[in-house]
Amino acid sequence: MIATIAKKEMTEMFRDGRFRLASAVVAILLLASLAAGWKQYANLKNQHDTAQRAERTNWLGQKPKNPHQGAHYGVYAFKPKSQLSTVDTGVDPYVGVAVYLEAHKQNEFKFRPAQDAATSIQRFGELTAAVVLQVLIPLLIILLAFSTFAGEREQGTLRQLLSLGVERTHLSMGKALGVAGALAVVIVPATLIGVFALALTSGSGLLAVDVARTFLMVGAYSLYFLIFLALSLAVSAWSSSSRVALVVLLSFWIVNSLIATRAFSDLAGFLHPTPSEVEFDTTLQRDLADTKGLDAKLDEIKAGLFQKYGVNKLDDLPVNFRAISLQEAEEHGFTIFEKHFGNVFDRFEEQNAVYQWGGVIAPLLAVRSLSMGLAGTDFAHHRHFTTAAENYRRTIIKHMNDDIFIHPTKAGEEYVADAELWKKVPEFQYEAPGASWALSHYKTSIALLLLWLLSGTVVVAVASRRVQA
Amino acid sequence: MLEAIDLTKHYNGSPALNGLNLLIQPGEVFCLLGANGAGKTTTINLFLNFVEPTSGTARIKGLDVTQHPLETKKYIAYIPEQVMLYRNLSGLENLEYFTALAGRSDYTREQMLQFFDQVGLAREAAAQRVGTYSKGMRQKVGIAIALAKKAEALLLDEPTSGLDPKASNEFSSLIKKMSDAGVATLMTTHDLFRAKESGTRVGIMKHGSLVATLATTEIGHTDLERIYLEHMHD
Repeated sequence: MIATIAKKEMTEMFRDGRFRLASAVVAILLLASLAAGWKQYANLKNQHDTAQRAERTNWLGQKPKNPHQGAHYGVYAFKPKSQLSTVDTGVDPYVGVAVYLEAHKQNEFKFRPAQDAATSIQRFGELTAAVVLQVLIPLLIILLAFSTFAGEREQGTLRQLLSLGVERTHLSMGKALGVAGALAVVIVPATLIGVFALALTSGSGLLAVDVARTFLMVGAYSLYFLIFLALSLAVSAWSSSSRVALVVLLSFWIVNSLIATRAFSDLAGFLHPTPSEVEFDTTLQRDLADTKGLDAKLDEIKAGLFQKYGVNKLDDLPVNFRAISLQEAEEHGFTIFEKHFGNVFDRFEEQNAVYQWGGVIAPLLAVRSLSMGLAGTDFAHHRHFTTAAENYRRTIIKHMNDDIFIHPTKAGEEYVADAELWKKVPEFQYEAPGASWALSHYKTSIALLLLWLLSGTVVVAVASRRVQA
Repeated sequence: MLEAIDLTKHYNGSPALNGLNLLIQPGEVFCLLGANGAGKTTTINLFLNFVEPTSGTARIKGLDVTQHPLETKKYIAYIPEQVMLYRNLSGLENLEYFTALAGRSDYTREQMLQFFDQVGLAREAAAQRVGTYSKGMRQKVGIAIALAKKAEALLLDEPTSGLDPKASNEFSSLIKKMSDAGVATLMTTHDLFRAKESGTRVGIMKHGSLVATLATTEIGHTDLERIYLEHMHD
């Protein structure tokens, strides 16, 4: 029975020119955005891999010099592109993809495509697959489903169906399945093509695809689409006419995809403001300049060493005190950078939490957060990488200073290290965290999406039971 | 087969149907006559359980329609003034869909097409989208659905209004065939001639009450018209 209803709904839709046109447009946009995302992914991955290798070669190829100069020479760390960034570029265009690791300071990220965007269209945002999935597919669902009940009521066919003794719940289940089936025709091929394209780029076939994240992302978007499907059917069953149903559903779509996104980013910024760049720099520099504690500590260490080795001049020490002073200065910096960056990063995370809670009003906000998280392009992943890069910076510096430490020099002399030392610094390896780590940041979004689906299902069940001819 | 017991319906306090008592046996065709707003369509809607009775009961095959809304619909077929079909589906697909939803999906394609033969629709028409159908053809599809459903009772709400005389005549002979096979029919109409021709009994309704019931075999056409007009005269 349900299958018969679903099949009839699909047949009707496929014979409807308007549906064919709308589906074709959405399918083309989805494929085009996936292709663009894939191309960007393939390019960037290539560039990053090449650049990261070149960085290593440059590092190893340094001429003999003082290790501290080596630390100043520094390296770039590139954030690896996740496969699913093909679908959702997330915050990457805004936060950047590479960071310069050097002595004395924790740098901000560079290469932010959004900053380089020249035209207003680019500033408006790219058409990523995520936008198609989050904004356009719900619109397609609304167009497919708004008249399912209301339209049949207007045509008079609903009266005839009900005179046959059809169960109303079967009717709404059949219709839901029919719309879902029509939608699958639009989405499934694009999804499969996307997965295969990724597998090809990764070089090692399907196995190289991050299966867990891919499945979870498919699940998250399916959940989101089901919410829209349930709401559209419920409104259609409840509305006096299909025009009313369309107006109600489009209003919700506008709130969901246009108003709520803006409103909640503004609200998040208002509740948890981040310091301006100038403000951030001023307070950071002020704290860094305050070296009273550092100087005292260095004096203390110096006195300790003089006592230990029974000397009273730096030149007489069997170790290089300059290394200690450099390392201590760095560690003084570490705490300050940690405090200041940590403070800003915490604000961002609080803003994200507000944004996720916006999912109470607009499921888009919940699915957008979750999607970025699964794509590994959200702020949490960015912070994870930032921490790893900063740790690597500390490793480089420590290696350099340790080497200086065991090579004491007299005043006027300079110690010169060679390739042996550069080699001792391990290559930068970054392993992105797993899918469950990603999910753990989006409990609110997941709960809200499930809640939306649950209430949508209840509403559609009640509404379809009350359907009147 | 179709039974109304003190069936009453008020809309916002004003009566649309007043204590209707009616029993239609298998093979009978009962025609309800009356002006617009006399309660004819309300009676049909009550049998379909599309509206709740204010008091009284409507029964189909002895079952109260409000108690057994799904089961009682298995025995009936409803044909409104205009049979509504899905215009993007062919006549055959419409028949298949409505029949399947009525719980019968055991017919072969050939058997389905035979229903088209029985109601006098060309097989070529069966393959066409119903967007191209005339009203008479749509009404015939309605009968084909009733046949395929093996309905034991027909509820017809002005099924021939707007049909040309030939189409109207064809429709009536199809009803006649079904009643000969033992189907009970309740039909509302404005067409006295049609009521006399195809009805076994006629009932005249006025302001929600059944004011007269006549057997068509006992009266001539002119008598029926005279009696009807007498009742309509206030």
